[in-house]
Amino acid sequence: MAYETLPKTDVVIIGGGWTGLTAAYELAHTGQRCVVLERGQKRHSVTSFGAPEEHDELKYALRYGHMQDVKKETLTFRNSRDQQALPMRRLGSFLPGTGLGGAGIHWNGQIWRPLPSDLAMRSHYEGRYGAGFLPDDLSIQDWGVSYDELEPHLDFFERICGAGGYAGNLNGAARAGGNVFEGPRSADYPNPAMKQPISNTLFGQAAERLGLNPFPMPSANVTKAYENPYGAQLHPCTYCGFCERFGCGYLAKADPIICVYDRIKDHENFDIRFHAQVLRVEKSSDGRTATGVVYQDEDGSELFQPADTICMSAFGLWNVHLMLVSGLGTPYDPETRTGTVGRNYAYQTIAAVDAFFDDSVSTTPFMGAGALGVVVDDFNGDNFDHSDLGFVGGGYIACKQYNGRPVSYQPVPEGTPAWGGAWKHAVRENYGHHGDMVIHGSSVSTPENYLDLDPTWTDAYGRPLLRMTFNFPDNDRKMSDYVMNRAVEIAEEMDNVTSVSSFNLAAEGQDYSIVPYQTTHNVGGAVIGTDPQTSVVNRYGQMWDHHNVFVFGACLFPQNLGYNPTGPLMGLAYWTLEHMKTDYLQNPRPLMDA
Amino acid sequence: MKRITSTIFRMASVAALGLLGVPLDAQDRAASPGLDMLELRLQDDRVLFNAQVKQPVDDDLLELGRLVAMGGAQSGGSAMACFTCHGAQGQGDGSGAFPRLAGQAGWYVYKQLIDYASGDRPNKVMSGIAQRLTEAEMEAVAVYYSAIDAPYRAVLGQINGETLQWGGQLGAVGSAERGIPACVNCHGPSGTGNAPSVPYLAGQYANYMTYQLQLWREGVRDNDAMNVMSSIAGKMTDEDMRAVSEYYARVRPAERVIAPLDAPMAVTIGD
Repeated sequence: MAYETLPKTDVVIIGGGWTGLTAAYELAHTGQRCVVLERGQKRHSVTSFGAPEEHDELKYALRYGHMQDVKKETLTFRNSRDQQALPMRRLGSFLPGTGLGGAGIHWNGQIWRPLPSDLAMRSHYEGRYGAGFLPDDLSIQDWGVSYDELEPHLDFFERICGAGGYAGNLNGAARAGGNVFEGPRSADYPNPAMKQPISNTLFGQAAERLGLNPFPMPSANVTKAYENPYGAQLHPCTYCGFCERFGCGYLAKADPIICVYDRIKDHENFDIRFHAQVLRVEKSSDGRTATGVVYQDEDGSELFQPADTICMSAFGLWNVHLMLVSGLGTPYDPETRTGTVGRNYAYQTIAAVDAFFDDSVSTTPFMGAGALGVVVDDFNGDNFDHSDLGFVGGGYIACKQYNGRPVSYQPVPEGTPAWGGAWKHAVRENYGHHGDMVIHGSSVSTPENYLDLDPTWTDAYGRPLLRMTFNFPDNDRKMSDYVMNRAVEIAEEMDNVTSVSSFNLAAEGQDYSIVPYQTTHNVGGAVIGTDPQTSVVNRYGQMWDHHNVFVFGACLFPQNLGYNPTGPLMGLAYWTLEHMKTDYLQNPRPLMDA
Repeated sequence: MKRITSTIFRMASVAALGLLGVPLDAQDRAASPGLDMLELRLQDDRVLFNAQVKQPVDDDLLELGRLVAMGGAQSGGSAMACFTCHGAQGQGDGSGAFPRLAGQAGWYVYKQLIDYASGDRPNKVMSGIAQRLTEAEMEAVAVYYSAIDAPYRAVLGQINGETLQWGGQLGAVGSAERGIPACVNCHGPSGTGNAPSVPYLAGQYANYMTYQLQLWREGVRDNDAMNVMSSIAGKMTDEDMRAVSEYYARVRPAERVIAPLDAPMAVTIGD
């Protein structure tokens, strides 16, 4: 199709979320003219997300007011290669965002770091348990970048967000009350941890009695008035209970608009275009570099934006989709197990434990925040001995109080009828007496879980849909069950508990379903590494096959962590940007030999 | 509107009961109050206290509250009775020093008294007064003022339309440019407040609100729960403070419709 060619820019950035706006900020300040292409609308946290309008649970939490429109772009799904994949016509299991700020608008604000051993998962397990410990059907691999290399960047992003928490490892010295399993921090959190409600506190006390190490969840729900390194001024959180699936109009949940966009929007090197749907990346005639991107503007016209450097900052799944429809890299073929684009797609396991208190314990679930939790990390990563467990990986156990919203928060004990008078009675009796625990587990990569292009279905722009082939690996099912049972033990140890129930969304014998919401922590498909046979980008986030294309986001993770991805993926983003600024842009070339 | 909704709801439930002739299982009215009862309670000002009061919220407490307001109290009274400045009906005055208290969220008023007494909200006049009240008297007088109503005084002074417009805009949507969140985020639509902890702005005196914003900006006042107001006031100019205060001084809450607890059903069917 004919398109108009626009004047060339230095850098074109696909997507206006956390990574895209951050790339623009950092690169614009080094003299690069940046154009950000955002498929959604312009919006601002103050004027678009203010209560009481924003606190419309039906509109935003249940009808997905801030999420992407699957009528235009979606994916097809199947559990295994012998099935026919079908389009996901409604959002369910995961919720990618759209519009300025992307999914960084409706995140909870849980801001984690990977464990040092997570980043070298294969070598760590083989080193500790022996060379043959990892089964052949797991394609677990090292990230190619170490915790020590990422630490300054993880730290900087925590400063951008004004993160609240309590360091458990300050320059190598363990501190009780923080996460004693975490890697060394060069500095404490910029802000104190959140104030904890009663159920989280009882959970922490019980965990301590069991010899575990509870600590407050690291939070980007800001706890004090704070100015970040870019000059953004954040306000204290009011615990309103509208974080996940909502934007924050209080300037209290760090988001890409207030933390980054406001601080770069007037810069002479910064240009952003809204309703700009990127259709593909164009390659040079020799295929070794990309020349720019073709996008459709609001009027439906196709435009070509040439650029010297391309930053792919779409949601992870759509980065992979763009690579596949543009012919960037080599698509993964599960038959031959060759190719890399789409390889090692992984998800995350979620299990839940509910504890119900007697009348002497009154919780106030409506006073919540997206990162309001007390956590134990004793069963995450390789923080515990895996010798005889039959699985690798782990997850964190959090007792949390995100919200007590009327439509979705109706915890009832096991055995309660699902409707009718008895159900209503149980909701009334238990609403204010509930301890809410979640197990957020890792997910290993396997040769059979992958992304490719669907042969049948196309999107509104005529492109083949992305096809997801995924089921929970047995390893993860066992892991999720194991960690969930540890959470049950803590719940049973809590004071004044009358009943405990548990539920594993990755239970054995049950296929992964794309319908019920689980988590928006989709990872992999364009993974980072040091071997071009098993990774799409080198350890600097630069594509092996096209050296002027840099890739951002959770699509880089070779397998999933037992943590929320925003902290780790932003650490990687700053790492990549540092190498772009100090090395690549002065001398564009492959930063590693293939 | 509120009355209409609740009347329709009652009609519907009564109709259902009448037609079926048996109580519906889905809502066990014997074991718990029905929705219409809960709705009535929500409209009762005394519920605005919404925090644990150590004594029953009844006529005796309101009587004690009235006594304190009029200058009587266990420790020989507060030396200056509340009504001398805030008025017997809690209407206050427009000087900037004496806010309107009538119908204010009970717990909020109580917390201010606690904070005046401890010095967390520094104020030369109110500290001495609050220190001479017992905790029970603070509760009582807070409940008393939350439960009474008073007519609004006419707003004095001229203000130009542009300033009012700007104040209304700050109140409703804030300023993206300057990072000022809208007042309605916490103070509710039309500045009606959000009990128990967030006071109303609608109908409060402009001079008082401007002065408080200045105190927050200067760090003299910082006794709101999460110290949110200091961050907000710190981003406001004098003009912003004046505009938003003059705006809310002119806003009147929608008329509250409180039906007596024993009010008959609007319509009865099936008898």
